[in-house]
Order: sequence, then structure tokens, then C-alpha cells
Amino acid sequence: MIKIDVHKKLRAFDSEMNFHIQCQIKKGELVTLYGESGAGKTSTLRILAGLLKPDKGEITINEVSWIDTKNKIFLAPQKRNIGYVFQDYALFPNMSVLQNLEFASGKGQNKKVITELIEMMELGDLQNRKPQTLSGGQQQRVALSRALVRKPDVLLLDEPLAALDYKIRLKLQDYITRIHKEYNLTTILVSHDIGEIMKLSDRVFVLEQGKIVRQGIPSEIFSNQKISGKFKFTGEILKIEPQDVVLIVSVLIQNNVVKVIANKSEMQTLKVGDKVMVASKAFNPILYKIQE
Amino acid sequence: MNSLKGHIKEVQVNGSLSLVTVALSDEILFKAVIIETPETASYLSEGHLVKVLFKETEVVIGKDIKHLISLQNQIRGEIKRVERGQLLSNIIINTPAGDISSIITTNAVDQLSLKEELTVCAMVKTNEIMLSE
Repeated sequence: MIKIDVHKKLRAFDSEMNFHIQCQIKKGELVTLYGESGAGKTSTLRILAGLLKPDKGEITINEVSWIDTKNKIFLAPQKRNIGYVFQDYALFPNMSVLQNLEFASGKGQNKKVITELIEMMELGDLQNRKPQTLSGGQQQRVALSRALVRKPDVLLLDEPLAALDYKIRLKLQDYITRIHKEYNLTTILVSHDIGEIMKLSDRVFVLEQGKIVRQGIPSEIFSNQKISGKFKFTGEILKIEPQDVVLIVSVLIQNNVVKVIANKSEMQTLKVGDKVMVASKAFNPILYKIQE
Repeated sequence: MNSLKGHIKEVQVNGSLSLVTVALSDEILFKAVIIETPETASYLSEGHLVKVLFKETEVVIGKDIKHLISLQNQIRGEIKRVERGQLLSNIIINTPAGDISSIITTNAVDQLSLKEELTVCAMVKTNEIMLSE
């Protein structure tokens, strides 16, 4: 369990912002911080990592105090067991993949974790290569693995996939899901990608002006209404074709295009480029097993 | 999408399924079976105002029906307009709970001789109905 209640006066561009984040995150949870640039998402991660000192407040992780300004407690960044992954992979260029992981694990650490991670993140064929010979997606897989070798109490992911193209992003999302579950991690993600947030997170905190203004499960946060349909996806309208008395609306959901029939009277409210929720009852879809 | 408003009259729960009865008016009751319970969906309480949503293509039209039918949601109304297409047509029915659209094949429109001012029965299966706040 992570308990955060911190205050700080932050300078955002030319104005000052009273940053005050208060939340609790359960062990094993993956939560996302969502909000505009300058809302305080990265500042929250930096305070957790010890790279930024709050003016006052407390942070406790699994009953251990990392920050307690009242009692003058401030655990040094290197003593906090966290994994931090940024958009920039920041791997050591002169070391191989394996050496990067070994360096992060420190002396006398159990090497079994490294072997496990190499297997889980499918780095076996890459382990002796230098980072600059790898693609962006591969480098980020190494960076993620490196963040995990010490089995961190908290994994901080600051838009880790934002620089990658769509296909690779989807694949890495699967890796994140896998490691998060396998190691029962507590993860805080910063992301702007609603599809990604829906896929990965248990809860979302919406930040505005340094404060959490809303929180809830992703499907509640990102749809305007609570709707009972269980077959729900968000997507973007690519094409609207009037046909007879109906519209055939093509919607991009992740990397699949689906078609939905809509009534012509809905034409006024729908346009190409709109973000929409595609919802249906769980009773309608059929499952068809794919022979592998 | 058809959207009618009503108040929840009854919620029958079994495991994670609920059969929700919504009163669209004093006489018209619509039922929806959903994978939610009052624990998972806060709006599932008696008296709560909800929207009853269902797709036009899921609305069955009946005319002079004499046999018994399993569809639980039946609402009578007068045809307000018929928009004919080559394969599909849109029938707009004026009911006491509001207008309902039904998209059926143009063949069916002809077979039933559906036209304006005719009284018909619009029917929707309980598993086709979604509820929303």
C-alpha cells in the first residue's frame, strides 16, 4: 500500500501552482495519472523517486516512511527501491543488454531474476548486443527489464511508450501487463493514450492544476455515461457511409477497423475523427476459437 | 439508437446477473437482463431514473399477433413515418413512452403492409436492452 499526501509550490511556466496530491494505491494495482501537460503528473513521480522534495507531507510505502516532513524524514533516492522508466531509454551505451541488467542488480544480488526477466521479456537473442544496435521497442524492453531487476516496491512509468510506433506500443503494453501480474508490482503510469490506459490500468487519477480532480476505473472516467453494456471499446470514426436508411460507420479500435450500423438520424451528432464508445451487450458477440 | 427514460421498479439478482424492470410509464414495463448488480452499478436501485437503450435493428414489429410470444418488452404505438430504402427501411413508431425506431427489411414492410397511422406492437428482447444513467 502506498499512501501519498504531499504539498509543494510549483512553478509552471510563469505562474505558481499549489501542488497537492493525496491518494492511496494498493499493492498490485496499476494506476494511471492522466491530465494535461503541467498538471503535475511527472512531479508526482519525481517526488516519489526522491528527485523532488515536497514542501510538506508524507509518503509511506508498505508502512515504511519515505517522506515525513513533520518528523524530518527524507529517504535518499538511492535507498528507495523503485523502478523508473522514461520515454528516453537511458541505457548505458558501452554495455551489452545483459551487462546493463547486471549493473542495475548490484553486487551480490540474485542473478536468477535477470535470467527470469530475459526469458519473460524475450531478450535471449539480444542479451549480448549493445543498445545502439537495437530498435526503440527493443531498447524499451531492456529499460523495463532493468527497472525490475531489484523487484521494486513501486514501478514508475513516465510515458514509456509515447515515442514508439503503434504496433510496437501494443506489444510492449502486453509485456507491461505480463510483468505487472507476474511480479505483483505496484505501478504508477503516466500516459495520454486512452486506449493504453483502458488496457493497462485498474484506476485512473485525473490531474488538473496539481490536484486529483477525479478518480475511478478507466471505463467510467473515459465515457460520459455509465452504461451497462459489457462489450465496450473506445475508438475513432474513420468513415461514415450512408446506405439505405442506415449509416455504416467504420471505427478504428486500437489497430482494428470495425463497422457499426447507426441510424441516419445520428448523422448530425457523428463526424469523422470523433472519439466514440462502441458498446454492445455481452449477449451478442460470439466466441470463435482460432485454431493455432 | 433508441433511448427511453424510466424509473427502476424492481431488480432481481442472481449471482452477477440482474433482471431489471423499468417503468416507462404506469402501464409500460420494460425488462433488461444485464451483467451488473447493485454492488457493481450504483444506479441499480428502486426509483432511480435510467435510460433504456436499444438498437433500432433489434426492434421486432408485430401486427395483429394472436399467438403467444416470449418477448417480454412489448409496446404498442402508431406508425408515424416509414422511410423506405432498397433493402432496409426505418419505421418510426409513436408510443406513449416516446418515439421508437425499428429498422427492418423492406420485404418485411411490404409483407406486413406497414404504413402510416397503422397500430403495431414494437418488441425487444430483454437481452438486447442496455441501461444507462
